[in-house]
Amino acid sequence: MSLASSVAPAPRVGAPARPWLRFAVRRLGRLLVSLWVLVTASFLMIHLIPGDPVRAALGPTAPASLVAARRADMGLDDPLLVQYWHYVQHLLTGDLGTSMISQLPVSQIVSQRLPATLQLALLAFVVAIAVAVPLGVSMGVLTRRGHGRRTELAFTTSSVVVGIVPDFLVGVALVYVFGVNLGWLPVAGNDTPDAYVLPVLSLAIGPAAILARIVRVEMVSVLEADFVRTARAKRLPARTIYLGHALPNALTASLTLGGLLLSGMVAGTVLVENVFAWPGLGSTIVSSILNKDYQVVQAIVLVYGVGVLVVNTLVDVALALIDPRSTIRED
Amino acid sequence: MIRRWRSVLRTPLGIAATALTVAVLVLAVVAPILWTDDANAVDTGNILAGPSGDHWAGTDNLGRDILFRTLVATRLSVELALAATAIAVVAGLVLGTAGFVLGRRPGRLVSAAINIAVAFPGILLALFFAVVFGVGATGAVLAIGFAGAPAFGRLTQTLVAGIESRDFISAARIAGVGRLRILVRHVLPNISEPLVVNATIGAGGALLSFAGLSFLGLGVQQPRYDWGRLLFDGISSIYVNPASALAPGAAVLIAGLAFNLFGESVAKGLGVGVVGGIPALPPVVPTLVTDEPLIEESHQAGTDLVLDVRDLEVTFPGARGPIRPVRGVSFAVRRGEAVGVVGESGSGKSLTALAVSRLVGEPGRVDASRLDLLGTDLRARDSRAQRQLLGTSLAMVFQDPMTSFNPTRRMGGQLAEVARHHQGLERRSALARAVDRLRSVRISEPERRARQYPHEFSGGMRQRAMIGMGLMGNPALIIADEPTTALDVTVQLQVLDLLQAIREADGVALVLISHDVTVVGEVCDRVLVMYAGRIVEDLPAAALSGEALHPYTRALVAAVPDMDTDLDQPLAVIPGRPVDPADVPPGCAYAARCPLASERCRVEDPALVPAGPGHRVACWHAGEPIDIEIADREEVRVP
Amino acid sequence: MSELRFDDVTVRYGHLTAVDRVSLTVPAGQVVGLVGESGSGKSTLARAAVGLAPVSGGRILLDGRPVPTRGRRRPLQMVFQDPYSSLDPRMSIGESVAEALPPGRSRDERRAEVYRLLELVHLDPGKAAVRPALLSGGQRQRVALARALAGDPQVVIADEITSALDVSIQGAVLNLVRELQRELGLSLLFISHNLAVVRYVASHVAVMRGGVIVEEGPTDRVLADPGHDYTRELLAAVPGSTPSSRPRRTP
Repeated sequence: MSLASSVAPAPRVGAPARPWLRFAVRRLGRLLVSLWVLVTASFLMIHLIPGDPVRAALGPTAPASLVAARRADMGLDDPLLVQYWHYVQHLLTGDLGTSMISQLPVSQIVSQRLPATLQLALLAFVVAIAVAVPLGVSMGVLTRRGHGRRTELAFTTSSVVVGIVPDFLVGVALVYVFGVNLGWLPVAGNDTPDAYVLPVLSLAIGPAAILARIVRVEMVSVLEADFVRTARAKRLPARTIYLGHALPNALTASLTLGGLLLSGMVAGTVLVENVFAWPGLGSTIVSSILNKDYQVVQAIVLVYGVGVLVVNTLVDVALALIDPRSTIRED
Repeated sequence: MIRRWRSVLRTPLGIAATALTVAVLVLAVVAPILWTDDANAVDTGNILAGPSGDHWAGTDNLGRDILFRTLVATRLSVELALAATAIAVVAGLVLGTAGFVLGRRPGRLVSAAINIAVAFPGILLALFFAVVFGVGATGAVLAIGFAGAPAFGRLTQTLVAGIESRDFISAARIAGVGRLRILVRHVLPNISEPLVVNATIGAGGALLSFAGLSFLGLGVQQPRYDWGRLLFDGISSIYVNPASALAPGAAVLIAGLAFNLFGESVAKGLGVGVVGGIPALPPVVPTLVTDEPLIEESHQAGTDLVLDVRDLEVTFPGARGPIRPVRGVSFAVRRGEAVGVVGESGSGKSLTALAVSRLVGEPGRVDASRLDLLGTDLRARDSRAQRQLLGTSLAMVFQDPMTSFNPTRRMGGQLAEVARHHQGLERRSALARAVDRLRSVRISEPERRARQYPHEFSGGMRQRAMIGMGLMGNPALIIADEPTTALDVTVQLQVLDLLQAIREADGVALVLISHDVTVVGEVCDRVLVMYAGRIVEDLPAAALSGEALHPYTRALVAAVPDMDTDLDQPLAVIPGRPVDPADVPPGCAYAARCPLASERCRVEDPALVPAGPGHRVACWHAGEPIDIEIADREEVRVP
Repeated sequence: MSELRFDDVTVRYGHLTAVDRVSLTVPAGQVVGLVGESGSGKSTLARAAVGLAPVSGGRILLDGRPVPTRGRRRPLQMVFQDPYSSLDPRMSIGESVAEALPPGRSRDERRAEVYRLLELVHLDPGKAAVRPALLSGGQRQRVALARALAGDPQVVIADEITSALDVSIQGAVLNLVRELQRELGLSLLFISHNLAVVRYVASHVAVMRGGVIVEEGPTDRVLADPGHDYTRELLAAVPGSTPSSRPRRTP
């Protein structure tokens, strides 16, 4: 700490009044702004597509009268601001429009497909965290302060390598080994419980490796912190020092970095679902993009975006629960 | 610089990654020249065939050779990935430096936009842009490029912010250098290394993302093909010919890994030093010439010693052999005595304190011929009894009270756990004792304060709470390592007063480590002056001004202005700089800066010998007169 | 020689008022010491003078005219606390000094000027091509002084320039500051938390607390006969000050 005051306002003594309320208001404000950006982006998506999206969806052979009628149905001839207003209004009532291809309400397609995707993402979350945290903590303790250099090298190298492999390649490899070669597990659909194994694994393995590496690095650096030295000066047992003092602090730092990883898993379902023909949103969005069914694409992008925002908010709340300082951190 | 890059190539992972990256790049150039015809040749007799002598990885649904197609696809895959990376880097640089160039308000807006965009995963952004830009190679390049921009922008922004807060940027602004010029001359050169490293890793990521998009059918379209497209085609026939999916999959993986690992090893090589094992050094010659007691009369009051340290050494492994920052330190502390340890950075004073309290962790090594606390040998193996003794009889106070408490736990609990572990108190009574100790270190409303977190305390309060934590047991010795350096002067006084009061009330001994000779002179009975890992003088505090014998002690006292310094005279100056523990010269370590140094000093290290009552000094020319006028000229020495 | 005058200056960061209606004059050719604890606003006041902190009220005047904070001519220069952050690690010390020279000179003139400035701060001009990594903290502060002088300033602000240095090096930098100030007739605002250091360097002293100047006057008067409780508190806290009959220190 420098003795001179610096550019930034001097640190105030104590915390501001009711930090939790201020935190909640600030965090909610950020969520709302992000939501607005997301809604606006998904609205603009259709309008940014070069050419006429209806013509593109119906194909070059469709009669001009049909295209014109469909455009009128969708309100595409209204001024942009009016369309935006209608879009937001419809969203608030749960109306996501109608599929240009199947003529089904988009909200129906989404609600049919969403549960499968949610199941996949949630299970993968749980698996990734359940593997990564204990692994990272124990590797951190084993490799602290230059201990176990070989262990560290082996762990770091393998976790880097595993972490880089994209989920869809893991999926392909798992299909080859367990489906094609060994024939142990089903490689498509979600009809039986064992059909969940391979998709969940392909989604969880990469993030688990990266998260474990982050937890290890944080654990090692927290073990070097002054307050761990204080705990050692108090001659507390090793278990208390590692689990009572180091772990909560390592977790806050890991969560800050790992939060992005978790929201990445939400989006990762897109690829994994396509490997395993999983009947969720991910396989639907790809076929809809290829069919130029833009209403459906728009809605699914929105749903994925909301999912990401929810995960990010939950991560911040978890952070605030573990580390009271983060409620007063300005962002 | 070159040496650091070379260190990248020294690790096995670094060599492998570099070789792979070069191989992928070479293949991208030569493969289409050599094998395009082979890749397009249609073998109608061998449609969807498995691996054979003619087709090592089998054929696709038109009978084309999978292996050749995979090899030829290298160029397109790498080209597209690099193009996307270039877009991401350029867009990210523009976003990330916009705040610096445009100033505070517009900068905040850009930063908020980046914050929102970066929260969305790359795949989602890529899908969004893929819809906007259309399905196909061009659309996918743009999609992956723009999807990568926010992350790169955030990175640039963080790096720029780190450099921007440095004073040399302020200095350039004060000198009237324009913002754009500062960006080009000062900021970008200082962040180029991490940017290049991350761009390399980004290229690996782009390669894999591209394969992902093509795999979904949203990237490269037939008749062109990249690895992702081959994979897309191959996965549908994975039961017929697994190699048609595995070959392009392996290619993607190897190339993606190559770029990623190359970037990671460069990052690691540029940032991290090499640390080896700890070979045991031969012990230095004991600094005591006789085995006489360190403190007079201590033979009649042998139990009076709280701390007795002989020939203490601390050794760390270094890049060029072991480093020994503490080189044979001997001293003793009596009950209720206050001993000050002064020295500059690198003198080994803090390490001495840590070594005495058994807090030098690995890879450090502590050796001593005696290390007794209250008559118990601390060199023995860690045991429950020893932990109990150290936990209750020795109190530590560290320099930075902000970082020395666990930020995620309440103050009361952090104090209470000492009593719970060492005195067997249960939760409630341990907490009551914590509150009582907080009160004893003059913290008002201790019940309320005990429920607060460290960040809700002010700096001075935290330091008092730290002392209170040491008082949870019944300490015989408090070791305070620069306890007031991070505090304001008025707060410093409160903390020193508190330590003094505890000492007087309970007869607790104090070892006060400080760089500030005036603080030590005021608080302590006896002062140990350390230089380059040794005690060069041990003298009564009252003798500091006037009776000090070592030229370093004398210069140290004279170089620091106090409220009585003669305003018409220049301050005494010690030329040169403190000794680097990794590079201690032979002979007396102070010789190079000493006006009295003779040939003997440069060859022979003087031992710490008695020089009057309660006075020891290690100098061949102790007490000789010094000519104060020393040429005040700093030469830049280039090693 | 020029006079620097803070006239009713206020600096705010959001809700926090770091400097609250401060008026202070650095007379031409004089050294004014500004003391205060962390958060007192003393560094913010300095940064406001050179345009690094936003002035939300009042004026900062150099010989009665606003201090220019745009363009290449900067008659007000500043030296910073942290010697390890104040020099660009990628630039030689000569380049760092040269960057602050006013424009419009030939290459040879600039080189000669850099040499002269390095000489002035007692550094070997032959080492102008050296990178800062090879210099000690004290040597870096000398380079920072040379860079400040390169702008041909009328007033220099020194912000805690010795508090990051080892004690054995601090004395040499203080000697240099006094020598330069006398030789060049600079007006100097010398900021420090250390009263003994300020006493050694400054003829006038101002005491700052909570963004406000609580006392100012000639150094010997303020230190011998403080008028404000806070000044007395600061004086009492100076280590070694309580027993005023302490034996005099001789080297």
